[in-house]
This record gives sequence, C-alpha cells and structure tokens, in this order.
Amino acid sequence: MRQPSSRARRVAAASVGLVLAAGAAACGPKDNDAKGSGGDSTPHKGGTLTVLNSNPQENFDPARLYTSGGGNVPSLVFRTLTTRNRENGAAGAKVVPDLATDTGRPNKDATVWTYTLKKGLKYEDGTPITSADIKYGIERSFAPELSGGAPYLRDWLVGAANYQGPYKDKKGLTAIETPDARTIVFHLDKPEGEFPYLATQTQFTPVPKAKDTGTKYAEHPISSGPYKVVKNENNGEHIVLERNTYWSTATDAERKAYPDKVDVKSGLDSSVINQRLSASQGSDATAVTTDTNLGPAELAKVTGDKELASRVGTGHFGYTNYIAFNPTVKPFNNIKVRQAISYAVDRSSVINAAGGSALAEAATTYLPNQKSFGYEPYDLFPAGETGNPAKAKELLKEAGYPNGLTVTLTHSNAKDFETSPEIATALQDALKKAGITVKLQGLEENDYSDTIHSVKTEPGFFLAHWGADWPSGGPFLAPIFDGRQIVKDGANFNTGLLNDKSVNAEIDAINKLTDLDAAAKRWGALDKKIGEQALTVPLFHPVYKRLVGKDIKNVVISDWTGVLDISQVAVK
Amino acid sequence: MSEALVAAEAAGTGTEPVPAASGARQFWRRLRTQRAALVAAVVVALLVLVAVAAPLLTAIEGQDPTTYHPSLIDSARGGVPIGSFGGISGDHWLGVEPQTGRDLFARLVYGARVSLGVALAATVIQVFLGVVVGVAAALGTGWVDQLLSRLTDIFVALPLMIMSLALLAIVPASFPRPVLVTLVIGFTAWGNISKVVRAQTLTLKGLDYVSAARLSGWGTWRIARRELLPGLAAPVITYAAILVPVNISVEAALSFLGVGVKPPTPSSGQMLTAADVWYQAAPQYLLLPAGALFITVLALTVLGDGVRIALDPRAASRLSAGTGRKREARKEGTA
Repeated sequence: MRQPSSRARRVAAASVGLVLAAGAAACGPKDNDAKGSGGDSTPHKGGTLTVLNSNPQENFDPARLYTSGGGNVPSLVFRTLTTRNRENGAAGAKVVPDLATDTGRPNKDATVWTYTLKKGLKYEDGTPITSADIKYGIERSFAPELSGGAPYLRDWLVGAANYQGPYKDKKGLTAIETPDARTIVFHLDKPEGEFPYLATQTQFTPVPKAKDTGTKYAEHPISSGPYKVVKNENNGEHIVLERNTYWSTATDAERKAYPDKVDVKSGLDSSVINQRLSASQGSDATAVTTDTNLGPAELAKVTGDKELASRVGTGHFGYTNYIAFNPTVKPFNNIKVRQAISYAVDRSSVINAAGGSALAEAATTYLPNQKSFGYEPYDLFPAGETGNPAKAKELLKEAGYPNGLTVTLTHSNAKDFETSPEIATALQDALKKAGITVKLQGLEENDYSDTIHSVKTEPGFFLAHWGADWPSGGPFLAPIFDGRQIVKDGANFNTGLLNDKSVNAEIDAINKLTDLDAAAKRWGALDKKIGEQALTVPLFHPVYKRLVGKDIKNVVISDWTGVLDISQVAVK
Repeated sequence: MSEALVAAEAAGTGTEPVPAASGARQFWRRLRTQRAALVAAVVVALLVLVAVAAPLLTAIEGQDPTTYHPSLIDSARGGVPIGSFGGISGDHWLGVEPQTGRDLFARLVYGARVSLGVALAATVIQVFLGVVVGVAAALGTGWVDQLLSRLTDIFVALPLMIMSLALLAIVPASFPRPVLVTLVIGFTAWGNISKVVRAQTLTLKGLDYVSAARLSGWGTWRIARRELLPGLAAPVITYAAILVPVNISVEAALSFLGVGVKPPTPSSGQMLTAADVWYQAAPQYLLLPAGALFITVLALTVLGDGVRIALDPRAASRLSAGTGRKREARKEGTA
C-alpha cells in the first residue's frame, strides 16, 4: 500500500501543478491542418528550428524534470527505457520501447519488472550506455539537491522511502538490480501494472557516473538522444541544441530529428509568441512553441484569416475541469444538494467562459474522454447543454430547501479560464435559475491551492482541475478517490474525502493488471461507479490550439501530450 | 499629486477668506465664465445622472448587466460577439461582451455607479480626515502637532497602490467589496489634504479677526468652527475636486488588478482587465470602458481645475465678468 509521507505529497502537489501547467502550455497543433507553404509537404532533413516559449527550461537535468511521457524539449536530449508513441491522436497515447527492447517484462503479480537495453546505444561522446547508468540516473533523482521529479519512484520501489541519493548513500538502491550491462530489474512494493508508463519519465534517463557534476549537470547533461546541448544560458532561458552524431535511427524508431539545430528561446510573453508565429517573419517562419496555446481572443482573430487558420493545430490532453464538493460541509453533506447542482449547471455557458466550443468540450465523466483512460460515456445527472433547473429545484425541495438556498463557491483569481472568476460567474448565473444563490469567494492562486488541498481548510464547494501524469485511469482516479490517500496533515488531493472499501479494493485489483487495455476498461467502470456519489460535477475537458510558423512541416499531435511533438517537426 | 498640492495651496494663499454666503454666489459667477469648466460640469452632471438612473436606463433598453446571452456570441470562434461592431443592435445598444453575451451598455452604466460612488465616498472620507487632522495639528500644542504631522507624513509617504493591494488581500472576502475599496482609498490617501489644511489654518490663525475672536474669550472649538472652517473652504473644495478623478483612477486600477469590486458587479477597471486581450478581435469591448473612464476623469479634472480658478483670489481678480480678460484667465488655468 502506498502511504507517502506528507513531504512527498507536497512535492507531488507542486509538481502536478507544474505538469499541468506544462501540459496546458504544451498543448498544440494538429498535423492534418498544418501544411508547408511550398506545396511540398514531405519533410526533409536540415535547417534550424526555433522554439518560442514563455517558460524557461529550468533545471535541465533528467533527475529534476517533471514531465508527462518524457517532455517535449527534454525528449530531444534524454532517452528513457520506454517513451510515448509519436503518433497522432489516440495511437499517440500508447507507451512504446525507447532504450529498452520492449515496454517491460513483469512477473506474475507485476511487482518485478525487467528490461533489456537495445544494442549499440551510445552517448554524445561515443561511450556506450549501460543499465548501471540508468540505475545511477534514478538514484540521483532521490538526492535532495536534485528534487523536482514525480514521487512515484520513492513510493513504489522497495526500501526507497528514505533513500537520500548516491552522493550520501554510496550503497545505492537495492530495489534496482543490473545483472549485466544490458539488463535492469526493478522490485516494487506492490503490484503496479502501469510501470511502463512511469518508465517514460526523464528519471529513467541514463547518466554516466563519471560525468555527473551534481547540481551543475543541468548546464550540460550528457545526451543520449538525437541532440546535444551546446549552449544553456540563464538556467534554461536560451538553449541551443545540435546533432548528436552518435545517435542513430537504427536504435530509435520514435524521434525523427529532421532539423540540424534547435534554438529554444524562453521568457517571452504569450501574446508576443502568438503574434510572432502569426507574422512568421525571418526565423519565426520556422518556429513553433511548446508551451503557449491560443487564447479565446487570439482564436477569434486567427479563425477570421484562412492562412492563419491553416496553421493551427488541435490537440487533446487528458485533463478535466470540475466542481468539487466537500461532503463534510453543510449543505453538501446531502447528496440531493450535490445532485441538484449537477443538474443545474449550464455547461454551454461554462464552455463559453473557458474560451468557446473550440477550446473546451463538455464533460459529464470525471475521466477524460479518451480511450486510453478507459473512457466510458455516462451522464448520471443529465443537465443537457444548458442545465435542467426544474429537476434541480425538485431535488432541492426533497432535500429540504423548497425556497432555494445560498452557497459560497470558492475559485482562484488566476487568469487561466479554468478555475478563474469567469467560470465561477457563469456557474453563478446558471444556478440562479434553479433558485441557488451563489456567492463567490476568489482566492489568490497560491492561497487557493493551499486552501483546497488541506483537510482543515477545504471549502464545501469549489472549482478544481486534474490532469494525469500519463494517459491512464490510474493517476487520474487513485490520488483523488483512494481513501487511503487522504492526507490529514499536508497536501490532500482526495477532496471528496471518499474512503469506500470497495473503491479502494478495485483500485488495488486494477493495479495488478498488466494488460493495459483490460485495466483501462475497469478504470472506466470504476469512474462511473464513483460518479454516482456526485462528489464532483465534471464541467469540461480543454482542447488545445496552437499556431506554428508558416514553413513548419510534419506536425504530429498525440493524445498523450495534446501538443505538437517537437521530435517530429521539419523545417525543410 | 504634487501638482494638485500646489494648486490647492495656490487656492489657499489668498489671505482673504471666502465669506460663506456671498462667496458661493461669487464662486458660481466665476465658474460660469469658464467655458471648458461649464462643459465639464455638464458632462459630469450627465455621468452622475446616468449612474443614478442606471436601473431605469437599462429597463428602457430591456437588459440587465448580469444575464448571459449565449446565442449572441460565436462559441466556435472563442466567443466573439456575432454581428458588426460587437453585436450592436436595437436590443443591445453598445453590443455584448465576448464569451458571455452580457449587455455592454448595462455593464457600463452600472460600472459608472461603482466608479463614481466609490470615488465620491472615498473623497468625503479623505476630506473629513484631512480637515480634522490638519486643523487639530495646527491648533494643537507642540507635541500634538508633532505627532499628527509625522502621522500625516507617514500617510503621504505610503505608496497608495501597494497599500491598497495589501489591505484588500487580507480582508475576508465576505466584506462588501465596494465599501472596502472606498474605505481603503479614503483612509490611505488623506495625507496631502491634511497638510494643505494645516498650512492654511496656521495662516488663518495669525489673522486679526481670529485673534479678536480669541481675545473675546471664544473657545478653540468655536473658533475652529466659526472662524477657521469658512476660510478653509476654498482650498478644501479645490483639493476635493482634484481628488475625485484621482480616486476614480485608483478604483479602476485596483479593479484592473483584480482586487477591486468582485464579479459579477461590473466596473470599468474590471472590464478593462477582461478586455485587454480582445483589442484586436473585439475592439469595442476595450474601447467602451476605456473611453468611459477617459471622459469621466477628463471631465472631473477640467471641472476641478475650473473650481480652483474660481476660488483662486489671484485668478479671480482677473476673471471678473465683463472685463474681457477671460481668455487670459483660462490660459493660466490650463497651464
């Protein structure tokens, strides 16, 4: 059973936030819309790809990055045991081998995972990549000075809970064995059928011990991927990548690596990025962004221009925006009140507030509407497009509120069109029709996050969102609905405070499955079962729209990241 | 602010206090001779009328500021209003808001209520505090004056925006927001007016008629009320007239930064925050609150300037009607 320390959970909280931001940012263009301007849409090698970003690639060290599926820019430099499938749409949500020959061979109960490395793998200096280097890379991610990654390894590996990294503890992790230079074996505390997904994260990148410079490694990490770092200024504000001549397509079926050079410029305002991409002048014609979406107003402008519209890519990332209830706070302890609100919401006005039908899709399930998550369509409290105030009033009457009621909705003051005042105001307007007067309580971003994730301060009725670390039901449902993950002191994500034995047992049972398709089906069924408790009101799943420069070719957007995959882009 | 300070002091430097009754009539006469101030006064009167009559005006239009109209926006294009000029029509006189379809005219006139109400109420607080502290400092004994003057210095030195942001962030959300913004502005920015009042009171204190009153055995309170306050009227009114537009700008800035009034209550500053990204796709959404704010602040500033000229004895001597020297006076007024 996973019982993470409060500290680890807090780190997780912060990192999930980061991943979500990166995911939201990382979401972008779709290939079938984007075409090269010259008519010849076949991608060719050569040229320089420019990346215009708002957030710098801080701490560019595989131990410290918190990524989904290995990240976008990081995945050009860091290869991992497994990686995400670099294909469009749902096919892109699959996990595929990267350094390893397969996605992992589990023992019978999925507590031991064995990987074999491909032959002929080399670093940028020509030295061979060994399984010991992967073990060392994982070990150094436990060092306190190299924090930042996801908490899973600490939670899952046998005896890793208090490990302090290879600098303090030379003995290393006994949970990882390297019987020979090409084999690596992981021993887990409990069954984890989704281990192959975890092995896509950059902590599974090989790091040669001899070249490890500790916290300075981020300045020049040794590349195992198609590009090496030749410049890293101001902690990732400006990174220049050039070809790693020792990398070969013979051992890497995923990365295309068409451009000769990648120039990553960060610290730009998001409106500047979109303006530069739409103008596409000079080197901006061969530019993309890996972290900036089109906002509603920008979309309105872009859709009015055919040429610009043809350069917009669309993607989906596993993410849900929802209303959360705390059933220990009155009147939300009454399931009829929660159901009434579920019936009363007007998803069309919420979607408009979130940026319109092009940037958000109505959600009636907690799980994202993608196959890899095990999505099973259900609508337990059908509100239609614009809400069902009559049914809501009826339920309120049964709940003992024949004259309606007054409640407070807590939201953040972030300008993110997710948990922001615009969404709260749209809900306020919709609930008014059902006789529910909503008062708004807007909190500053950090205050909001602390307030909703502490059992002591959690409000009864608030806006929330959740995104997965990988496209599966596990990291989506377990942190939110597993009763054993309620954290009394520290960051708590089980905001509905659900502790249902049958739910906990089903989570354990699914984690034992190594057939990911079978697991997905069970996650979908579990989602529906939990949905009956009306602890959340799913509102919408975001859709990501991103511009690319006019000479960009081969735009691939998977459902794993929802954004353009930089390893597939060509500029010639 | 320092400009305002100089202006107010200039209005107060006349050693002759403006006698209450006949002074008012004289003031109106002097104000009337300035065309710009008159136009500004008319504009201000209209704005106040619009703000007061907001429910009536929106009832005539048949709209209200909070109802969503999803059918009037193009959801597939980010929620941009359907139709030209932001969806202007007989039903929606100034079009609708992107993403919600709420009526912009209704939001604008209700927003004017908040802006003007907060600014005027804050000015009243500022004037009250400034006069009380200023007069008390001038009339008080050495240490009282020292204490109050240093206190005033502290409030003058406080950066208004940062103070307001801090205060608005710590007060519980349940406190009514417009009242809170009023109190924060009112209780933070009264230092300058207090300094002007203290200086003017010190001047008045030395005048013969005040000495005469004291010699005839009047108490401090009675002297302050009967002899000093009338003499303070000119600089205080001048300063207040200049403070109103400043307060409107501060309220707009606070709402723009997200700590002012809360949604769905409209205010110009809040509309500007929401609109800043829409300047290309729906320009009227940005231009309407910006224009309304611009006209309000300009009109109030010009009116404040006119009030200053009308109350300035030096300007007034050149201003008197019928001398044909209006133009010069106006030139000086705008300098």
